[in-house]
Amino acid sequence: MPTPRNGNRTAADRAAADRLRGLEAMLDAIADYAVITLDAEGRVARWSRGAEALTGHAPAEAIGQPAAMLRTAEDRDAGLPERDLASARATGRCEVEGWRLRGDGRRYWARGVLTAMRDGQGRVTGFVEVTHDATAAMRAETMFRGLLESAPDAIVIVEESGRIALVNRKTEELFGYGRAQLIGHDVEVLVPERFRAQHPALRNGFFAAARARPMGAGLELFAVRRDGSEFPVEISLSPLETDSGILVSAAIRDVTERRDQLRQLRRQRDEILELSTPVIQVWDKVLALPIIGTLDSNRAARLTESLLEKIAERQAEVIILDISGVPTIDTMVAQHLLKTVQAATLMGAVSIMSGVRPETAQAMVHLGIDIGHLRSRSTLRDALQLALQIVRDRAGDGSRAERTVTGEGGL
Amino acid sequence: MSQIVPILRIGDTLLVSLQGELDDTAVIRVEDQLTREVARTGATGTLIDVSGLSVVDSFIARVIARIVGMTRLLGSEAVVVGIQPAVAITLVELGVPMGHLDTALNAEQGLTLLRRLRANGHRAG
Repeated sequence: MPTPRNGNRTAADRAAADRLRGLEAMLDAIADYAVITLDAEGRVARWSRGAEALTGHAPAEAIGQPAAMLRTAEDRDAGLPERDLASARATGRCEVEGWRLRGDGRRYWARGVLTAMRDGQGRVTGFVEVTHDATAAMRAETMFRGLLESAPDAIVIVEESGRIALVNRKTEELFGYGRAQLIGHDVEVLVPERFRAQHPALRNGFFAAARARPMGAGLELFAVRRDGSEFPVEISLSPLETDSGILVSAAIRDVTERRDQLRQLRRQRDEILELSTPVIQVWDKVLALPIIGTLDSNRAARLTESLLEKIAERQAEVIILDISGVPTIDTMVAQHLLKTVQAATLMGAVSIMSGVRPETAQAMVHLGIDIGHLRSRSTLRDALQLALQIVRDRAGDGSRAERTVTGEGGL
Repeated sequence: MSQIVPILRIGDTLLVSLQGELDDTAVIRVEDQLTREVARTGATGTLIDVSGLSVVDSFIARVIARIVGMTRLLGSEAVVVGIQPAVAITLVELGVPMGHLDTALNAEQGLTLLRRLRANGHRAG
């Protein structure tokens, strides 16, 4: 018969055993996590239902085995299981992550915590490892990292504070920084000095109304490398909503090559324009302007300008506008030509048109284009003959009525 | 007030040279002075040199056209010389009616043209 004291102890033991059972039932109710208790040497002491479900090993197969049984051969060879235990023993806690083996040989990606348990004297009496199957999350993350790393653009992910949270390989390549030198630093290190002061305000503006858009629409943007050299860039921004607030991902593309090509294209266009409006001095005081190809307003303005400048420069008295190379004369082209003639007349030069083909003449009359008293000749040869006659007459003593030639009316 | 535009007389011809940035009052003063001078001297030709004007607005262009009309009424032929390329383009774009003007590239050709015009005028008269 137990003494009342002993009876009390028994009651207390029973209550403790009840609590323990309750705790164990609770552990077993956690289905999504493997809760594994290890002894001080790292052998399995308890195997929860969750552990059974996750690993496919029954408790009987597991208990007494070293915890390393779940690890892959590579991990075991690398001594990782021992390292984890040592780390948990030293610091009390160790985050674990890695491939684990199921009973059927398949793998899963485990992520969790290994915690050391201590007795009253602080001695380590065992460990508890709580892990879950993070295969799906790991896959998503791997894919995200893979995408990020293989992106053709430099991608810089920035926190609201302006600090860089993440960069990809292309960023390292493009800017010449290692990723450790960027992560945690202000994104302004990538902004040229002269724009640095205004950048935070612009950045805050974007965070205030974040939506995917190109940065600095219509502006030429520049970035600066580690060595201080600048290069032209195009940047698209897009917000990423995360549990830790809004992040902005900036895709940065080096457009040096494209900008050079564009510049070259413009220069070539200007050269073509220059070549397409040649003003030729065919005789003393006579200029000829052979017009070839389609006249748009841009080209017509250029043509008028270069012709008038040549008139002033060469003090030309007669100009011949040869339109045999113009495919079609419409009202617009005629307007341009007539304006050129009017301006030349104001400067005191006489204009002659040449190279009008029959179909052109028909078209002009059908369109109702009035060339006024502008003289016209069908060939350049005839036009030159007329020009020389005009020059002779104008140099003469005024025996001829010249006002008809100098463009009376017609304007 | 600020600008004095001199009018030179060379034989039968008057020469007025407009230069710099002419304001409206200055150009109207030229109009007044020149017509009086044509009437006073009985000059048969007037040369208006605008080569010194790099900008001409429609008002000044109209006054120049008016001066030509007035001197013709006074029996003097008028020739505008030295219209700059940019000015010529502007006048055409503005649509200022200056088609009836006699123009020449420079003063020398202007004088030749004046001679011819006088000859025509005599013949017509």
